[in-house]
Amino acid sequence: MQRDIRKWLMKAHDKGNGNAAKPAQPAPTNTEKKPPLAESKPEPMQGDQENSGRRKTSKYFAKDKQKPKDEKEMEEVPTKRNTQKDASVKPPPSKKIHKVDDSEDDDDFVLLHKNKSVDITPSKKLKTGSGRGVSQQPVGNAASDEDDVKDAESPLKPSGRGCGGRGGSSTSASRRGGSTTLAGGRGRGSGRGGFMNFGERKDPPRKGEKEVPEGAPDCLAGLTFVISGTLDSLEREEAEDLIKRHGGRVTGSVSKKTNYLLCDEDIEGRKSSKAKELGTPFLTEDGLFDMIRSSNAKALARGDSMDPVRKVASMPKKSPHKAEDKLMSNSLKTNVNKKGSTTGGSPLKQKDQTMKHSSLPWAEKYRPKAPNDIIGNQSLVNQLHSWLKNWNEQFLDTGNKGKSKKQNDSSAKKAVLLSGTPGIGKTTSAKLVSQMLGFQAIEVNASDNRGKADAKISKGIGGSNANCIKELVSNEALAVNMDRSKHPKTVLIMDEVDGMSAGDRGGVADLIASIKISRIPIICICNDRYSQKLKSLVNYCLLLSFRKPTKQQMAKRLMQVANAEGLQVNEIALEEIAERVNGDMRMALNQLQYMSLSMSVIKYDDVRQRLLSSAKDEDISPFTAVDKLFGFNGGKLRMDERIDLSMSDPDLVPLITQENYINYRPSSIGKDESGMKRMSMLARAAESIANGDIVNVQIRRYRQWQLSQTGSLASCIIPAALLHGQRETLEPGERNFNRFGGWLGKNSTMGKNLRLLEDLHVHLLASREFSSRRETLRLEYLTVLLKQLTDPLRLLPKDEAVEKVVEFMNVYSISQEDTDTIVELSKFQGRKNPMDGIPSAVKASLTRAYKEGNKSRMVRAADLVSLPGMKKAPKKRIAAILEPTEDGLAEKNGDAVVESEGENSSDTDDLEATADGKNLQSELNSLNSKAIQVEMELKGTEDSNTKRTARGRGRGKAGSSTVEKKTAAKGKGEKAVSGSKRKR
Amino acid sequence: MLWVDKYRPKTLDQVMVHEDIAQNLKKLVTEQDCPHLLFYGPSGSGKKTLIMALLRQIFGSSAEKVKVENRTWKIYAGSRTIELELTTLSSTNHIELSPSDVGFQDRYVVQEIIKDMAKSRPIDIKGRKGYKVLVLNEVDKLSREAQYSLRRTMEKYSASCRLILCCNSSSKVTEAIRSRCLNVRINSPSEEQIVKVLEFIGKKEGLQLPPGFAARIAEKSNRSLRRAILSFETCRVQQYPFTSNQAIPPMDWEEYVSEIASDIMREQSPKKLFQIRGKLYELLINCIPPEIILKRLLYELLKKLDEELKHEVSHWAAYYEHRMRLGQKAIFHLEAFVAKFMSIYKAFLIETFG
Repeated sequence: MQRDIRKWLMKAHDKGNGNAAKPAQPAPTNTEKKPPLAESKPEPMQGDQENSGRRKTSKYFAKDKQKPKDEKEMEEVPTKRNTQKDASVKPPPSKKIHKVDDSEDDDDFVLLHKNKSVDITPSKKLKTGSGRGVSQQPVGNAASDEDDVKDAESPLKPSGRGCGGRGGSSTSASRRGGSTTLAGGRGRGSGRGGFMNFGERKDPPRKGEKEVPEGAPDCLAGLTFVISGTLDSLEREEAEDLIKRHGGRVTGSVSKKTNYLLCDEDIEGRKSSKAKELGTPFLTEDGLFDMIRSSNAKALARGDSMDPVRKVASMPKKSPHKAEDKLMSNSLKTNVNKKGSTTGGSPLKQKDQTMKHSSLPWAEKYRPKAPNDIIGNQSLVNQLHSWLKNWNEQFLDTGNKGKSKKQNDSSAKKAVLLSGTPGIGKTTSAKLVSQMLGFQAIEVNASDNRGKADAKISKGIGGSNANCIKELVSNEALAVNMDRSKHPKTVLIMDEVDGMSAGDRGGVADLIASIKISRIPIICICNDRYSQKLKSLVNYCLLLSFRKPTKQQMAKRLMQVANAEGLQVNEIALEEIAERVNGDMRMALNQLQYMSLSMSVIKYDDVRQRLLSSAKDEDISPFTAVDKLFGFNGGKLRMDERIDLSMSDPDLVPLITQENYINYRPSSIGKDESGMKRMSMLARAAESIANGDIVNVQIRRYRQWQLSQTGSLASCIIPAALLHGQRETLEPGERNFNRFGGWLGKNSTMGKNLRLLEDLHVHLLASREFSSRRETLRLEYLTVLLKQLTDPLRLLPKDEAVEKVVEFMNVYSISQEDTDTIVELSKFQGRKNPMDGIPSAVKASLTRAYKEGNKSRMVRAADLVSLPGMKKAPKKRIAAILEPTEDGLAEKNGDAVVESEGENSSDTDDLEATADGKNLQSELNSLNSKAIQVEMELKGTEDSNTKRTARGRGRGKAGSSTVEKKTAAKGKGEKAVSGSKRKR
Repeated sequence: MLWVDKYRPKTLDQVMVHEDIAQNLKKLVTEQDCPHLLFYGPSGSGKKTLIMALLRQIFGSSAEKVKVENRTWKIYAGSRTIELELTTLSSTNHIELSPSDVGFQDRYVVQEIIKDMAKSRPIDIKGRKGYKVLVLNEVDKLSREAQYSLRRTMEKYSASCRLILCCNSSSKVTEAIRSRCLNVRINSPSEEQIVKVLEFIGKKEGLQLPPGFAARIAEKSNRSLRRAILSFETCRVQQYPFTSNQAIPPMDWEEYVSEIASDIMREQSPKKLFQIRGKLYELLINCIPPEIILKRLLYELLKKLDEELKHEVSHWAAYYEHRMRLGQKAIFHLEAFVAKFMSIYKAFLIETFG
């Protein structure tokens, strides 16, 4: 079995090694078949045969250990049997036909061998496992390792074997079924999306009170559990862990594959009702413990008497899927003659393996060799396939362009953009698909310089890669007329396009240009489709977003690899790996390879331990981090753990800490009746938090990022170390959970109020009666202003009061919004609203009176000028908004401008009289641009003035005053304007 | 119009409290050259009034025709663009601004905006090359970097531009800048002077001042003339005719701070600390500068404290004020001070009363 898979995955490498290794093989019948190694790519036919080889092994092991989720296998069985029959019939002819094929040779050899050795004693089929072990012994390191383990730890063996078998079988299923089975797998995976329920859960009532039993490692193998509600003594995670450690599966929702629903109380939830519907038995926590304990006892009892292999057989008895078992064993029988594949093949393979072991990382070694090997995303691969297949017809047949337009959208794009997280097979898919369609793939990735192509070709294209691409892309044009069937087709794979950076100047733009003119298909690959750099590129590409494969899919694949490498791995362990690496197949393989160096049997616990730290980094919310830091066990955390926690969000964790540290009753101080110790702890914590703020300023303002650990130490860890303990509520009705940091909200309110105050300040300044600073305004004026604005309304008769207040507002250019600001800023929590006690009729009449007054109001601040047709006063200076044409200026400006012109002209006269007139003139010319701006500004105001008058708002002296103001506005610039005006 | 603005002296001759300084300034500018000036002194002592009167003395009434502008500057600092919004108050010949409004980016205001303004040179009516005046408020709040940038500007463009700096405390202005300016210290007016001014206003307004009333206001005002006049007017709004024992209403925020202080004195517990945080937030939200809160809080606490603690508490207040300026989130430091005080005071109470 191992052999088969390995061969399948690594054909390319076999080529080299196979020659050397095989002659040494002990089986004499086969030697003549080995040498010819002209294999190129797996043909469909060959795939079938290999499958059959694998299948028979899988069947064998499937009997050893039956997983309840083997629904797929059940579906598979009929087809399998058929093909198996085919296969068993076929071998001799196929041998002749495909002599060239190395992998097939193996299959054939296996068959022959089997016939000779095992077929004779079909009743002993269970023994073959052990027999195989023995036969492997003399072979090589890996093999003997395996055997050692087997001998020493008999209970382990079933797990390894069982899983292996299972994995093998499912692999064969997925291999065979191609997209259909894969789709099935994916569907199941998604069903498990809500793997863990993070909702609020009560603590187990008897937490930690029961002794958790240790059982035989695989006593729960093949069983699927669903946990519901609160358990008696275990946290849900603990229970999950326990089950997984003993080889069981935990899923999120009840289905017909579920063996037990683990719950201590019937909470009438969805799970329990579903379970009742399906007749799934309920299991209490104690029941689970008993189960584990009893298995332990059984294992001990059987320990001596039982052949390990027998035990293997006995394990699956627990499984309810007897029917399946039967099917499997049936198929096993039909196929019994093939079973020896491993026996015969393994010596050879083991040798190969030891040779290859060091040479390549597994991620390279087990790179898929056919599109169907790619895990997940089959539909995308198919899409890519069809796109590439149709490319030439679409874009190169110049004759019927109209037709290509009618094609559906997906194929209308000239390039394709594959996106997805690392390690999910984008590059591999691209390569495989092009290989399969007979394209020659040219890969350009971030290691090549991908800058803009030189327009000047004088230097030749030799040096620059970019120019090569250009050539490649456009020169295909020459080949259009050639006989395409003979000409090698090429495809350009641009890998890591989002990695185009400083060095690749104009890279993306150039790529787009290339796509436009390209005569060959281009496949672009990126990680982040939404990257800013690729914004323009996505318009030209067919977008294919690769998704992460499910952990089941990954586990299957990992199982194949593990088997091929002679590694005993529990399937649960593989799923754990798959889960921890977050969909990154490459990383999963790397982890597996790393672990294989130190152990040949990998269990769930090993994986868990190894990947524990890396998993922790993932999504930990700032709240959880603060909870942990301040929790009862906060004091027991290691320093690096604390830093990790506080660094999980270096902005929010300090804020949440600051918000909540008062709420904790420190557990470290012991008895503290007066609260004295706690108070001093609080003071120290508060000081430390303040320290954190100072450090933060250094980090942010002066970019001293090396202080970030100091910062989190001061702002989170020290307060937590001082105060961790029980959280208590300080206010009645408060929930006993950490609040979100209040600073953000308060700070933004403060910012808003500061802006409002600034508006008020500007208006007051504009009234020219006021010259103090904003701070003074708030601290000293505000109380008086408020009194002046509200007291009359309360005390005096309505009309008189309104008149007085409006007059006051006019004097200080206070708008109604400003009044609101003043009131708002004078509000204090627990004080009465300053506007209380003012009858609403008075307020209304004040508003009316103020609006009335608008007509005659003199306005100096730009943002108070309300323009007709504009609801909200412009925030920017009006000049910028109006942008009038220059023509209308003279007429509209009226007297005011004339006046200012006069003034200005006198200025200019003087100006020209000055000695350095020449210099100044040039200066003026240079100022012309500025001058125009100033004119506009002038005009802007005047414009509004005139409009105002047109609407019947007598502005009185407003006109002139505004002009004065504006004259003042630009200082020197203004005068320069008039000067330049005269020049013109 | 508020009295404080209505009776503000417009010219140097009208000045009532710092007559000698006013006369000196007048002499200084009538000689057509005016050095850079640094006015410093406590708030409410008349710095701004003197500056405005001085500008009027230099430029005539045009200095009063000011325009307020809220402008946005775009500054290209290396790789990024910084947008600064700043309110300026300008007449033909002078520009007034508070660079510290933009916070820690004030450096760019000084380096770019002020330099830009200082470069160009106004030309007065008679064709003489004049100079323009830049009035910078709150120089003591400028960051150190900004102050360093400022001193070069002061030298380089001294021909075309004069700076008038205005601040509360000269100790926060660097030595280098102080040495480039003529330092003018404006003292707080004495209580007698305040009484004199109040009586002057009372006479102008035609009010009957009961004996001792003006003195009481002056006493409450902490020798800030502005404060005195404002409270005077508040009293007028509240109750007229005056009675000699009329309550002089405090500022709203001061009332609130003293409330906090009595809260702290009453109970020292985590719960109280939490409530006080809420109140401090309330003050901050109402735009009361944190330094002022801390100062006032200390003042209120000291009023109620026993002698032997005063020293220690003042020390801690200074300590936390300093740190507050180094930091950014004022509430953290205010809270740390309150917590510290609670812890000290609680220890003291337990020690003395068991």
